[in-house]
Amino acid sequence: MTRLLITEITRMGPAFCVIGLQREKEKIRSVRPVTATANSWLHFPYDRGDVLQCDLAPFSGSKPHIEDRVSISGFAKESAVPERQVVTYLRKAEVAGSLPELFGCVLHENKNGSGLFAKPPEAKRSVCGTVTQNLRLELCANELRATLALSSGEVLRDLPVVDRDWRDFIEAALSIRRGANRLARLERFLNSQFHYKVLSCPYHFIRLGLTRPYYDLCWLMLDTLIPLPRHDWLEEF
Amino acid sequence: MVSIEGKKRFRHLVEECFRREVGSDVSIPDPVQDLLETGVLDSMGWVSFLRAVESASGINDLGELLTERTPSLENIFQAFRDAKAESLLHETQSSDTRKASTKSSVIIVSSSAAVGSRRIPSEEIDRAFGMPAGKLRLRAGIETLAYADEEENELTLGARAAQQALHAAACGARELDWIIVTSETHRGYPSLSAQLHSQLLTRENCGALDVGGACLGLLNGLAVAQGLFASGQASTIAVITSDVHSRTFQPGRVAGEFGGLFGDGASAFLLRARNGSTPQRAYALGEFFFGCAGQYAGAIRVADAPGGHLEVHFDGEGLSRAAITRLGKVILDVELRSGIARSTVQGLATHQPNPRLVTLLAKQLALAPDKFPAVAQTFGNLGSSTCGVALDAVLQSARHLPPSDAAPIFLASLGPGLLFGGGWLVSV
Repeated sequence: MTRLLITEITRMGPAFCVIGLQREKEKIRSVRPVTATANSWLHFPYDRGDVLQCDLAPFSGSKPHIEDRVSISGFAKESAVPERQVVTYLRKAEVAGSLPELFGCVLHENKNGSGLFAKPPEAKRSVCGTVTQNLRLELCANELRATLALSSGEVLRDLPVVDRDWRDFIEAALSIRRGANRLARLERFLNSQFHYKVLSCPYHFIRLGLTRPYYDLCWLMLDTLIPLPRHDWLEEF
Repeated sequence: MVSIEGKKRFRHLVEECFRREVGSDVSIPDPVQDLLETGVLDSMGWVSFLRAVESASGINDLGELLTERTPSLENIFQAFRDAKAESLLHETQSSDTRKASTKSSVIIVSSSAAVGSRRIPSEEIDRAFGMPAGKLRLRAGIETLAYADEEENELTLGARAAQQALHAAACGARELDWIIVTSETHRGYPSLSAQLHSQLLTRENCGALDVGGACLGLLNGLAVAQGLFASGQASTIAVITSDVHSRTFQPGRVAGEFGGLFGDGASAFLLRARNGSTPQRAYALGEFFFGCAGQYAGAIRVADAPGGHLEVHFDGEGLSRAAITRLGKVILDVELRSGIARSTVQGLATHQPNPRLVTLLAKQLALAPDKFPAVAQTFGNLGSSTCGVALDAVLQSARHLPPSDAAPIFLASLGPGLLFGGGWLVSV
């Protein structure tokens, strides 16, 4: 049996991609449970911070998704740890402070438009944590995107935000039930309170991930943004 | 109302960006087609495409305007019409903006360049930096470097270039309303602009302004000058660049792979508001655009270190990749924004980190290498003056052509950060 601390739940179309932390002696490393037939889960009724028991087959995914492990049975929730403590563990797992260290490879700029990508044979992993100097979320033509500055001063623009909770929060903010001017109110929130709430959080932390190879390229995305959004923030705008 | 010409240009720009995203063999979809739902683009491609349109059109809130709208070409065209209608409204409401619309009527009446008097074979520089002889020639394509002699510095080179430009236009220094100066090597006060102000004997009430940006400095200076003309603050401006690297990037202070690339030089451009007395041959400033690709911030860093030393972080490979990618992107954006095909230009005055990269860039853009004046090959990387010396060379090459044959000139440069900027000049 493996004990897995769930740290990432990301949206992958209609399904979810899940990553957790596993302790191996003194080392903590990221593990991505996948099914025998797919990389994602259509139903995943757990939260970040949940400690789950599961059976993972010692299967190593192809580069750079070396964290993949096939889940043989289902998940059973054992306990949960608070958000702050999740970050304590994340800081002990894969972390980097500069662009080339994130995935152990050169990251390339999209020559045609926006976004950054890694070449699968070059990338040494597909997930990494980091602290940001600054971070901004914005809606670009209905798509949620993040722009952030690493502690090295390097800037990453237009990363797709796939964090389930943040995506749910944005969708809730734009729900028709919330009345008029929803988009303008959300943009005001993202430009003001959001910034304060996230960056003033003493355990503010993000995890970046690489997509599965798509036309031989793995694109960068924002997997997790901690602190996670709180439902009562919706009352503030 | 947006002009038909403006609409056509925007449509062409959108289609070009679309082809860049999906490939030139894909036909342009029906304008009302939902590009995401029909699988023409995925969400990554959709945002990437929009960012390309924003960058090429200068409409920076296109993504915002399209939120809560179907992702279709028609909605992009509608957002363009909305954005233009709004900006026209602002223009009619603001007399300042009306003045700004005259920005295209700034002309370069003369130009000049001055490089360090000593011409050093690159093998000599290899030896001085303790590198194998031939490394700079083979790896970077640098044949000789221009080094300042003992009497030369940023002030003397800059002043020489400026005097030559003034003489070429028969313009007295007292006519200058501003001198705008950029240098990536001059440190100390009085600033270089103040020193040049005194050296050139301009009027006491001629403004003196130093602008930064390192290798992007010339474009920054031209854009600032354009703004001063547009706001009615000036009728004659000198934009001057001057860089003496050979005293800063010395053997023992920095690695030869970095310090060995640089030479010393200056350039000067005399700008005037266009009026009835436009000289027979002149180029007018087109538009400029700028930005900062912060993902490359770590590729080059130079900072003071204790004991008067320099701390240089130089990721040569990373910087080369960044330079080629970004310069290519800027030139394509200049092409889209100006509506001028890059194959038809008189020349390209770009930053030239080293000659090898210029060759690669020319190849990538399918341009003849001789469209880029051989500045770095003969003089080394001159910092902010690379673009200046290159621009002067292109302008001189057009001097004897009949007006109808003088084609536009593209400008593109980079600076640490990674700052980038582009623009163009057209013959008038």
